[in-house]
Amino acid sequence: MRNIIVCIKIVPKAEDMNFDPETRTMKRGGVENQINEADKNAIELSLRIKEKSGGRVVLLSMGPPFFDQYLKIGIAMGADDAILLSDRLFAGADTFATSATLSAAVRKIGDYDLVLCGEETSDGGTGQVPSQLAELLDLPQMLFVSEADIDGNSVKARRTIKGGYETVESGMPAVLSIELGINQPRFPDFRRKRWADKEFSLTVWSASDLGIKPELTGTSGSYTIVKRLTEFSTHQRQRISVAGTVEQQADKIMEILRESR
Amino acid sequence: MNRKEIWVYLERNQEEIEEVSLEILGKANELGKKSGMPVVGVVLGNDPGDLGNIALKHGADVVIFLKDPLLESYSTEDYTKALFEMIGKRTPEIFLLGATYQGRDLAGRLSARLRTGLTANVVSLDIGEDGYLLSGVPGYGSKVLAEIVCVRNKPQMSTVRPGIFNKTVIPNEAGIVEVVDIDLKDSVSRVKVLSRKVEKHPDLSRAEKVVIAGNGVEGNLDMVARLADILGARLGVSRPIADKGKASRELQVGSTGYSLNAKLVLIFGVSGAEHFLPGIANCQTVISINVDRESGIFEYSDYCIVADASKIIPILLKEGGDR
Ligand SMILES: Cc1cc2nc3c(=O)[nH]c(=O)nc-3n(C[C@H](O)[C@H](O)[C@H](O)COP(=O)(O)OP(=O)(O)OC[C@H]3O[C@@H](n4cnc5c(N)ncnc54)[C@H](O)[C@@H]3O)c2cc1C
Ligand SMILES: Nc1ncnc2c1ncn2[C@@H]1O[C@H](COP(=O)(O)O)[C@@H](O)[C@H]1O
Repeated sequence: MRNIIVCIKIVPKAEDMNFDPETRTMKRGGVENQINEADKNAIELSLRIKEKSGGRVVLLSMGPPFFDQYLKIGIAMGADDAILLSDRLFAGADTFATSATLSAAVRKIGDYDLVLCGEETSDGGTGQVPSQLAELLDLPQMLFVSEADIDGNSVKARRTIKGGYETVESGMPAVLSIELGINQPRFPDFRRKRWADKEFSLTVWSASDLGIKPELTGTSGSYTIVKRLTEFSTHQRQRISVAGTVEQQADKIMEILRESR
Repeated sequence: MNRKEIWVYLERNQEEIEEVSLEILGKANELGKKSGMPVVGVVLGNDPGDLGNIALKHGADVVIFLKDPLLESYSTEDYTKALFEMIGKRTPEIFLLGATYQGRDLAGRLSARLRTGLTANVVSLDIGEDGYLLSGVPGYGSKVLAEIVCVRNKPQMSTVRPGIFNKTVIPNEAGIVEVVDIDLKDSVSRVKVLSRKVEKHPDLSRAEKVVIAGNGVEGNLDMVARLADILGARLGVSRPIADKGKASRELQVGSTGYSLNAKLVLIFGVSGAEHFLPGIANCQTVISINVDRESGIFEYSDYCIVADASKIIPILLKEGGDR
């Protein structure tokens, strides 16, 4: 088994985000970040594949320099190497520009059998990167994968489709997107974390390291723009509190049910 | 002559067209009238059957059936190849797909090959004054709606969430179905399907009444299902219940599941996480039962009931006439 490249995004914890209707921007102050949840499932899967079939787990992320601390968490989980793609030019990328930049890095890392992504991010939530990346790398894609097994030179996977699932197979290399919640990501190993913080040196690549044309990255490489942000007006709820004993509460529920008919 | 067109991908489900494709056709028809663009439904397969006529009844002005034996069942790479060729010939302005497993798989790949912009999981669509498509996407836990525009290339692509727009019957006498033989010759697909297991579930997004089971009632799922049954409601679940394999994904409510349009939902043991909430945003009446008085779900409920689900459900079952 050759390299298993796992693409991970660092995302804000959404419950910390708040919209400021005055300035029409998100208030990001005091927001905590984390590795996108589905990407943790992808890391866990990559480590299990490695334990069984060998190979090296390489984490790949595009984002600002301070993301290095989160990549180190991935190293402490058991990944062998981590690469951060960081450059002012990369800012403002949509999923296509993100995929273009990631694909250049995947090529530069080279010698790989699998590229794993999460099914989608919890902040952007598009799930588009895995298939766009697969197209740009000219590789087969399997999305929404819940199980994957290596068999010689091919990968067999179970993927979710409408109403159920399929078992599919393709040669490697291939791009897989991993379904959120399919496994319990292991905790970072305490000693490995200390080592990662002190001695592990993270690789950081800029646009020129990647040899990618600046116009293919960031805002200038994007095909979509956010035209405007508006506050989402959802249905105002009544929030009537139903007190009393459980029997009284149950009676009330039955009454509402009867009335709504 | 090259007229500007709005294309809608018609996802096949055996002999039928997926509900979401028909929902999008209805909305596209409205956008078409506003902008003067005809609506073209595009379907891929080997046997056109009655699919074209169904689409013409639901808002398409024209249906293109891309025909080839290799297109009988879905594969990312063959479908991408066929659509890429057809789009090259007719250069549509807009191309809309359902945000289903298949629609998202296809849209990502195709948009990258076309070098054009793609917006995911759209919940609103409009044509702006400048003529561009405005695709609305909820962001940051549904606190904002971001309107996204594809600026640099055509077609402007979006995947649309199921259950957002309404399927409508739009009479159309003049509509035509064009069958196009595309002759793919050999499959370019590198992914082989070894086996498939699917069940048919009626569309949860159209259910009138839904009883939802969350993590808090994981151990009492049978009881909740029984309650849904006697109330004449459909069962829904939060994501963790589907993740654990205790219920089908087709029952999942939320940002990566279904958006409900129910008159009434009864929710047991759900905390009200931001990814759950879009699933119930369009429901008329929301009743929530949670042991935790402080639970976030109560902020998004019409009736807030602090109770232990395992205590209240047996009473509801009895009052509902369970024997
Ligand atoms: C990208 C992404 C997409 C996601 N998409 C979805 C989605 O589509 N749908 C979805 O649901 N989630 C989704 N999630 C997950 C979501 O963030 C939450 O983890 C999930 O909604 C929590 O489910 P829950 O409320 O059932 O469980 P929990 O958060 O565990 O809450 C359980 C609740 O049950 C209550 N409870 C416990 N015991 C009892 C009892 N005896 N009686 C009554 N109440 C009790 C507790 O007080 C608690 O409020 C997504 C997450 C991500 C990152
Ligand atoms: N900036 C990024 N760096 C590394 N991986 C990313 C990045 N953005 C997206 N991905 C990967 O693509 C998946 C889907 O992201 P998205 O299409 O943005 O929902 C994520 O789960 C990651 O695996």
